[in-house]
Amino acid sequence: MRDGTADDQPVRRAGRVVPVYAVTGGRTRSAGKELPVEALVTVTHSGRHAADLQLEYRTILGLAAAPVSLVEIGAALQVPVGVARVLVGDLADAGYVAVHLPQVGGDGAPGPEILERLLEGLRARSA
Amino acid sequence: MDSVGSSYPVGGPPVTPAMSRPSPAPRPGPTPTTISAKIVVAGGFGVGKTTFVGSVSEIDPLTTEAVMTEASAGHDDLSATPNKQTTTVAMDFGRVSLDSDLILYLFGTPGQHRFWFMWDDLVRGAIGAVVLVDTRRLADCFSAIDFFEDRGLPYVVGLNAFDGQQPHRVEDVREAMSIDPSIPIVMCDARNRESTKQTLIALVQHAMAARMAAGARR
Repeated sequence: MRDGTADDQPVRRAGRVVPVYAVTGGRTRSAGKELPVEALVTVTHSGRHAADLQLEYRTILGLAAAPVSLVEIGAALQVPVGVARVLVGDLADAGYVAVHLPQVGGDGAPGPEILERLLEGLRARSA
Repeated sequence: MDSVGSSYPVGGPPVTPAMSRPSPAPRPGPTPTTISAKIVVAGGFGVGKTTFVGSVSEIDPLTTEAVMTEASAGHDDLSATPNKQTTTVAMDFGRVSLDSDLILYLFGTPGQHRFWFMWDDLVRGAIGAVVLVDTRRLADCFSAIDFFEDRGLPYVVGLNAFDGQQPHRVEDVREAMSIDPSIPIVMCDARNRESTKQTLIALVQHAMAARMAAGARR
């Protein structure tokens, strides 16, 4: 079954006959999007219903049923994190996944509220 | 603030009344409900980085690869070296779910000069770093300390106790390494979950103090 997003599929249906680098068209960086390695990825509604995707994309959509980081995706696919970045960028462009950036302040560092929560969380685990 | 176990309403970021600082970060995701943060664990070869990550991680440490451009010679100054080639460096990482919507990632990174350009990617947005030190090989961690000093990233020094033994006193190590009194140096046992958690707590506290100090200077 195809829905309205089918035409936006990042990669045409194909068997895995090429290395992942070829899947990404040789790109190891998404245009204009330098996602941090800990950025979280979750599957969207349309991503859950995406059909005819290549294996790597399907694997990512499966992993992203729960929040999963770029670096975990890279490890699961056994590809460098730069390749995972490109694949996730493709899926995000197609609307199949949402990417959640870490919360940082204007200076690029995590804000005090995140530090507070980390501290609480670590202490709770120590109890 | 007691947010452990709580969940945030869909459609809005967590806002604590006492610290209602809006985050200017762009949000490609529609309803961000889970937050991630990262801490870097650095140090010389064989100092126990992977052990440290593994003892606190809820998953067995995973390895991922980062492809990077590397100078074919003269690793210390890439800009002066026109001949570059790509290389692949493995980094270990672990994951700690601190709450239903808060995930902490730990990255164990190689400590050599030649991997500094990878660190730039890693330290961007990081809470801070733990520099693990084997007191029998103090010099192995100097490049990591220099890097974090240079980048202004909060860090603590963890003296890893091999075989449960730490023959050196903290203040002796501080003096031997010329580490500023403002930088915490803690004893730790990378194999011990409680010990690694205490080291991470020391780092987060130090990062909070560093932020407050920076805010006071502004």
